[in-house]
Amino acid sequence: MALRIASPTGAVLVVLVAACDGPQSALDVAGDGATRIADLFWGMAAGAAVIWIGVVGLAVYATRVRPGEHSGRTAKLLLIGGGVVFPTIVLTGLLSYGLLLIPELREPSDGRLIVSVTGEQWWWRVRYETADGRTVELANELRLPVGEAVEVRLESRDVIHAFWVPSLAGKIDMVPGRVTRLSLKPTRTGEFRGACAEYCGESHALMAFPVAVMEPAAFAAWLEDQHALAAPPSTPETERGARLFMAMGCGSCHAVRGTAAAGTIGPDLTHIGGRASLGAGILVNDVDAFARWIAETDHVKPGVRMPAFGMLAESDLRALGQYLESLQ
Amino acid sequence: MRAGRVALVIALFCIAVGAAGAVAVLAGLAPVSARAGHWAVTDWLLHFAMRRAVEVRSLAVETPPPLGDPMRRAAGHFETGCATCHGSPARQRPEVVRHMTPVPPDLTPRIPTWDDAELFWIVRHGVKFTAMPAWPAPLRDDEVWAMAAFLRRMPELDAESYLRLATGEGPRPQDPVVAGCARCHGADGMGHPGEEIPALAGQSADYLYGALRAYAEGRRHSGIMQVAVDGLDDAALRRLADHYAGLAPAGLGRETPPDGAEIALRGAPAQGVPACIQCHGPKQGPRNPAYPHLVGQHADYLARQLRLFRNGERGGSPFAPIMRTIAGRLTDKQIEEAAASFANGGNEGGP
Repeated sequence: MALRIASPTGAVLVVLVAACDGPQSALDVAGDGATRIADLFWGMAAGAAVIWIGVVGLAVYATRVRPGEHSGRTAKLLLIGGGVVFPTIVLTGLLSYGLLLIPELREPSDGRLIVSVTGEQWWWRVRYETADGRTVELANELRLPVGEAVEVRLESRDVIHAFWVPSLAGKIDMVPGRVTRLSLKPTRTGEFRGACAEYCGESHALMAFPVAVMEPAAFAAWLEDQHALAAPPSTPETERGARLFMAMGCGSCHAVRGTAAAGTIGPDLTHIGGRASLGAGILVNDVDAFARWIAETDHVKPGVRMPAFGMLAESDLRALGQYLESLQ
Repeated sequence: MRAGRVALVIALFCIAVGAAGAVAVLAGLAPVSARAGHWAVTDWLLHFAMRRAVEVRSLAVETPPPLGDPMRRAAGHFETGCATCHGSPARQRPEVVRHMTPVPPDLTPRIPTWDDAELFWIVRHGVKFTAMPAWPAPLRDDEVWAMAAFLRRMPELDAESYLRLATGEGPRPQDPVVAGCARCHGADGMGHPGEEIPALAGQSADYLYGALRAYAEGRRHSGIMQVAVDGLDDAALRRLADHYAGLAPAGLGRETPPDGAEIALRGAPAQGVPACIQCHGPKQGPRNPAYPHLVGQHADYLARQLRLFRNGERGGSPFAPIMRTIAGRLTDKQIEEAAASFANGGNEGGP
């Protein structure tokens, strides 16, 4: 009998614990901010468990162990003590602790690297600024050096978005017309995932981004690569793709540094082939996905601002995909 | 008791009349011959019903700003689509139509009996049981208003001035298909500014062919153009596109930059609007030939097309949805500015 009950409970526990794992989990911590939040969560969970056991214990005591009448003095003590004094102390403590956490989550960074992230329906414009004053615009991907406190400046171009990488830190709103700040200090390398955490329109759920925490040397090399101009097409197919890219007017919205394409409306594509995903964290990055995104943009991401180019021939779509994939 | 009996008699009478009518129709006795025309009473009743219906239904028509002078495209269409039945200042009604019931009226004495909204309503909706068709493109009220404006003026026109409007001026091209287009677009293919008739000379052949195909297949909407390309086969459409693409170095597609406007040269990135020239030229590098040249195009035509795009009422080649997306983000002011800037850009060194 006991076993039969235990086994589904065990199954549920396994599922719950498994859900705490993964690239987008606030409990699978990989950053200072997330550690504080996870500590707070576990502390609160433990406290809540103690309080729950106490309340249930009292209920059992009052109804089973001593079901008789209790003195008015005891009842009054319990009501005022447990209903007013205790919660006031606990909640005040938690609030103070929470408020004290906030400046810590926004603590000034090392100042070596500033990353600006602008939320737009439904993608992320990312700009890296290094201490030497050089900037480079990227999109839909965040890479960070491990162990370094990086200042992230958050803005929005249209509606309120929220920036959240659960494994690294808490979430902060991106408010049009304001710059909000967040300090990210990753504690271990790995691949994580961030997402928009404030409903921002019909494709809100399709606004995510991969996050990679790298060794400082690898990160520096990657950032240097991002500064480089786009690789010129090297095969007949990618050359055809590059020509189509210009002819179809893609460059009026997208920039590919090193070519005539200098649009600022959509994501910079200079090194798109090297990103971990397409369409703001929703498609794998391969030629098929490029072709699908270009032809069925509005199906892949409903309400997207980019017009779909479904009228292009399959071979043209593939050539464009080959070209974009070659932009490593 | 008495009332009940009266009702019964009336009901029986109605049933008897209905049955007699049914028998007559079944027996093939219905008077459908056009030769005899209508009985006077039928004729009166039908006309009365039509006039009342038009008067009442046109109350809901919103009259646009005063009907202007530009009449060429309406006149050209009148010659193609209307004169066949109604005649025109240049010709009587053909013999054939004078044997129809009802006979399509000579419009000169009739037009003054309708106000602008009523003319609009009749042209837009047509009239049942009279062979008067509805306007082929329900989304193009602008064309119907142009037609109403022309009809208002038509009774004053003599044959010569009518023909000048309807069939154009100057030499007629040899090719009869091209000659048909030249009536409105001009033998030089330069169209008419102020008449919303676009210049075609020097336009990209791919674009022209795509537009003609779209009209022919009903994917681009115009009561005038859909009728104009009706019956032309694919080879003819291709020939027309090539003909106009090859015309006049003074036409479209020159490399003069559009004049001024920010929207044309740099777009409005904050609104998600890219620069017009990135797709429509002039620019360095390859350009999709299915995208039209705009430098030198007439401003009123461009503004109309942008508004149609913005309202989602402009079809076209398979590339048209791109423009619908972009135009949907434009303000009225930006539409005017973009249109004017391409038109003006073309005037530098143009005619």
